[in-house]
Amino acid sequence: MDDLYLDNIDEFVNDQNKIVTYKWLSLTLGVHVNLAKQMLYHYLDQKRKEGSARLHATYLVSGKFVENGTTSHKVSVVREDQLEDAKSKMSLTVSVHVYSVQKAVLKDSGPLYSADYDAVKENLRNCSRYSAIRCADAVPRSSAEVLQACETTQAPPPETEQIKANHSNLASKPTSKQPKGIMGMFANKNVSKNQDSSKEIKLEQKDDAPVVETSKTKPAAKTNPVSNFFGKQAAKKPDKSIKEEVEIARTSSSVVEKPSSPPPKAETPVKEELAKDAVVEKDIRSKTKRLEHSDSEEEKSESRRMKRRRIKKPEPDSSDDEVIPDSPPRLQEKRDPSPIPEIQVKKEPVAVSHSDELSDCKRRKRRRVLKSCTFVDDEGCIVTEKGYESESYSETEDDFKVSKPTPKNPNPPKPSTGKKEEEKKKKAAAASNKSTKQASITGFFQKK
Amino acid sequence: MFSEVSAPREGSCSLLLCHPGSEDQEPSVFDRVKLANSPCSESFKLGERSFNRQYAHIYATRLMQMSPLLTERAQQKWGADVQIRKLCDLQMGEQCCIVGTLFKHMELQPSILKEISEEHNLLPQPPRTKYISESDELILEDELQRIKLEGNIDVDKFVTGSVIAIYGAEKNDGKFTVDDFCTADLPPQTPRTTLSSDRFVLLLSGLGLGGSHADSMLALQLLVDMVTGHLGDQGEQSGASTISRVLLAGNLLSQSTQDKDASTKAKYLTKKTQAGTVDAMRLLDEMLMQLVSSVPVDVMPGQYDPTNYTLPQQPLHHCMFPLSSTYPTLQLASNPHQATLDGVRILGTSGQNVKDIQKYSSMDSHLEILENTLRLRHLAPTAPDTLGCYPFYLKDPFILEECPHVYFSGNAPSYQAKRITGAEGQEVLLVAIPEFSSTQTACLVNLRTLECEPIRFSSFSADDDEESEMNISH
Repeated sequence: MDDLYLDNIDEFVNDQNKIVTYKWLSLTLGVHVNLAKQMLYHYLDQKRKEGSARLHATYLVSGKFVENGTTSHKVSVVREDQLEDAKSKMSLTVSVHVYSVQKAVLKDSGPLYSADYDAVKENLRNCSRYSAIRCADAVPRSSAEVLQACETTQAPPPETEQIKANHSNLASKPTSKQPKGIMGMFANKNVSKNQDSSKEIKLEQKDDAPVVETSKTKPAAKTNPVSNFFGKQAAKKPDKSIKEEVEIARTSSSVVEKPSSPPPKAETPVKEELAKDAVVEKDIRSKTKRLEHSDSEEEKSESRRMKRRRIKKPEPDSSDDEVIPDSPPRLQEKRDPSPIPEIQVKKEPVAVSHSDELSDCKRRKRRRVLKSCTFVDDEGCIVTEKGYESESYSETEDDFKVSKPTPKNPNPPKPSTGKKEEEKKKKAAAASNKSTKQASITGFFQKK
Repeated sequence: MFSEVSAPREGSCSLLLCHPGSEDQEPSVFDRVKLANSPCSESFKLGERSFNRQYAHIYATRLMQMSPLLTERAQQKWGADVQIRKLCDLQMGEQCCIVGTLFKHMELQPSILKEISEEHNLLPQPPRTKYISESDELILEDELQRIKLEGNIDVDKFVTGSVIAIYGAEKNDGKFTVDDFCTADLPPQTPRTTLSSDRFVLLLSGLGLGGSHADSMLALQLLVDMVTGHLGDQGEQSGASTISRVLLAGNLLSQSTQDKDASTKAKYLTKKTQAGTVDAMRLLDEMLMQLVSSVPVDVMPGQYDPTNYTLPQQPLHHCMFPLSSTYPTLQLASNPHQATLDGVRILGTSGQNVKDIQKYSSMDSHLEILENTLRLRHLAPTAPDTLGCYPFYLKDPFILEECPHVYFSGNAPSYQAKRITGAEGQEVLLVAIPEFSSTQTACLVNLRTLECEPIRFSSFSADDDEESEMNISH
């Protein structure tokens, strides 16, 4: 071990013409900084003795410096020829050691900084491994803890936003369904509340919040006969709001028991959505550390959900009793297959190939489409409104990918979602049968 | 002083200027000294913010909170039987004491109303270093009325928003002649626990990352290396391990990252360009990463940092520090910031309050202004008049309720430190932290002795060579 480093340093200095600083040497050879300093000194000494010294060195001098009556601690990097001078100026020299060794004379100390920069950048994770000081507190937190810390700071703002939205929109009629910004989505949520005459949504960041809501909205949706026709619509809204709750509440996988409701279409899409929400959330979180949901994210997933719902719509009621209220449907061309695969794909929480999903997602595009939405407002009147909505679509069909991810779907913690998973898979299979964008009449007769 | 702490134990030559020792010699590793830390700047963190309120409320609460303190001081100074009157109850010629908020009427004060008023046809005023003039007037306002002040009071030394007590009498012409005045002076202080060993806190400000000239980058790297224990001899490294905290007091990014070129340039020229702050924040994150892996760091935002403009500036968002925010040693603090480290209270700002007072008064020394604010018992009296501030209405958080042991302000042009003693035995160390990008100086505060020492980092450059050559030739 002993003199190998001398050859190394020799190689760095002479062959590669590098400026070898003690820090760079310690990171490259993986030694303690003090040892690196000693190594540099040894090398310098040896080369000087050999006489082949075309080497130059810079030293670090630090000590007490008195200037104009004020004493200060001065740390400076000096060239070799300035070393004695610097030492004499200090009233008390604390430390002197070799800072760097290089072949050329350094006029300016600028290159010393850039010499270390890359090495330090590469070793940022363990930059203190070779230093002389250990700090017991400086242990990086795991990502889970970080998320938790972020959540606690995040929790208050979204809550307050929702509260505001609720207060302002409580009595208002459902206006256009422009999902512009969070307010738009809250407006929808309030619409659904009005429709279903549910109590104010509790803005607790708990799993039971969505449960409470859905259970409330479901019976209401059930009872309203008119809403049956627009069952999707009625259910979709609370569904959307549930989804928002879920997202905002950041529940990992919220398993929501959904009591059966008239619109059969609603069931599976919502379940899938909810489970998907969790994944989407995780996905979003893991991909971008943004803890603020951008509106577009919510809109995207919402509209995707909407589209998925539409595919599910033709499906006759599945055997399960879980009902997921639907939001108002969009009378638009069906873009069912594309959203579904994407959603399914996005559902993969952890294990499965994310790259596929990523590429799928990236091929999705958003565009604004004039759509008219029909829904039942709080007076029981059917209202149709036109509005621009941004909608996602993709040019290619991702049907084939659908079947792949779905079987690999890991089991969410709660048992009831198991059913959902099955249904999702079924739906995916069903969806994959249609490889065209346009839904055909045969969709109604597909297997559930 | 730090130098003594780090001095080599034996008088022998440096251990590092020798060949590497035998293998059984363990390289020394020191443990970072830990501090019991309790941050207490919750009053400066804003929750939900609403700007629908007027700023008059902040003055109202300020006066309400400070008048009892001032009446007490007035009674201490001028006797317990001094008449304390409201302005509406003033009698002509009667010697009494009035308490209120000062307003300084300055001709040169930039006024947006004047600028946009059509009848004046004024061009926007160019920014000046000082807005004071000979014709400034001081006016005292209380809850209901205001009155002009004249007499034994130095108009230049006061700024709008300070709450003081004035002793004098009202004369015939409706002005109040001042005989004497008093300020709220230092608040009560809880005595600090004496520490057994030396503990240092490094105060640093004005890093100026992302600036056009990178002169101080090597100095900054030297500082980081020293604090993390890479640099220096064993003695110095053990001394560095007594640095138990680093406090960055604002202006981490340089002013040049703030230029709004993008808004004035044509879009096709600026389409793919990033804002200067993006690179600068990345640099900052990398630097912080090196620091936080070894020492707890408090980061306060400053005037040029990406956070809100109004005081109190909220902490920088942790998402801008993807590498360093995983460490629990990184504390993103607000501006102003206060913390209690091992029983020593530290309070300070990034310097905007001091700079603002400097513009509107004749005082130039940051340290003098700092002492002034302490004696006024208010961190930023010029807020919200000339310094941006959030419209508080319940409580003015800038009023000092407890006296700090270390009171600092960042981004001063040069290093200054002073120790003052209050009337009730309070001991405060005032520190004006210099701007690192121009002075390459940081401050080390010894918590045991409440002393401050500057620490300077320097390197060599080509100019030094030329200078020495010139000297020789002479």
